Amino acid sequence: MIGGRARVLATCLLASACASTSDRVLDVGDQTQLQKRAYQSRSFDTTDKDKVLRAIISTLQDLGFVIDRADYTLGVVSATKLNVYQLKMTVSTRPRGKEQTLVRANAQFNVQPVEDPKPYQDFFASLEKSLFLTAHAGE
Amino acid sequence: MRRLAACVALLAATGCVTLPPDTFVLTPELLKQRQIETRRYSGIEEKDLLVACSNVLQDLGFNLENSEVRLGVLTASKQRDALQAGEVALAIAIALLGGGAMPFSKDQTIRVSLVVRPVRLSDATPSQREHFVRITVQRIVRRTDNSTISQGLNDPGLFRQFFERVSKSVFIEAQNI
Repeated sequence: MIGGRARVLATCLLASACASTSDRVLDVGDQTQLQKRAYQSRSFDTTDKDKVLRAIISTLQDLGFVIDRADYTLGVVSATKLNVYQLKMTVSTRPRGKEQTLVRANAQFNVQPVEDPKPYQDFFASLEKSLFLTAHAGE
Repeated sequence: MRRLAACVALLAATGCVTLPPDTFVLTPELLKQRQIETRRYSGIEEKDLLVACSNVLQDLGFNLENSEVRLGVLTASKQRDALQAGEVALAIAIALLGGGAMPFSKDQTIRVSLVVRPVRLSDATPSQREHFVRITVQRIVRRTDNSTISQGLNDPGLFRQFFERVSKSVFIEAQNI
C-alpha cells in the first residue's frame, strides 16, 4: 500500500517537473525566437536614449517595481516587484534605423517566464503614456 | 480519492500560480502612490541632488548596491531584524496551549530604488535646477521556519519622513557643511 502511494507521488512529481536543465536554460517552449521578439518589442519615433530610458524607469516605478540596476551605455534597466509574488523584468533599448528606438522587455513571474503577449501590451501602453509617443508593434 | 487530493496539492505546489491580470496597467491607485513616493526639489543640480540622496540612504544605514548617475538611479539595501512583540507573544501563547510551533518574522531585507529626474520645462527640455526624486521600497521578511513574505511598502508617513531628511541633506549640501 505504501509502495502504491509512493508510486503515485513519484508519478505526480515527474509529471510536473520533467523538463531537462538544457530546456530550462534555453527556455524551450511552443514559441519561436521571432514570436517572442515580436510581442516583447516596440519601436518609438525618437532617438533620445536618455528620454526613453528615464521613461522606462518612471513606468517601472509607477507599476510598483524597485529598480535593481540601470546602465546607460548598454541601455538596460532591470527591476523587481514584490507583492507576495516576485516579478522580475529587464527592459533594453537600442537604436533602430536613424529615427527610431527599439524597446524590448522580458519578464519572469516567480519561476516562470511571462509568455503571454497581453502583459507586454499593457506595459508598452503604460510606457507610451510616459513617453507621449506611439509604440509601433514588432521588431 | 485521497491520492487524487495529494496529486492536486502537489501540482498546485509546483507552480500553478499565474500573473495577476492588469499587473502592467496604470490604475488611479498607482498614480496616487506616485504622488506619495515623489517630491520636487528646486535650486540644485542633478548630480548634487544624487549625492545628497546617497548621503541620506547612508544616514539610514543602507548599503549602496548599484548606481547609474547618467540616469539618476541609486539602489540600496539593508538587513534588519523583523521581530514584532505581538507576533512573538502570539506564537508563545499558541505553543503553551499545545498548538505547536508557529513561525514568526525573524529578519528582513529592505530594498530601495531612488531615482532623480529633471522636471520638463514647457518646451519639453529638461530643467537644470528643478528635479523630482522618487523612491520605491520593498521588503522580504524571513520567518523562523525560513519561509519568506515579500511586499512593497506604501505607508505615506514613511515617505514623508524620508523626504524631510532629503530636504535637510539638500540644505546641508547647498551650504557645504
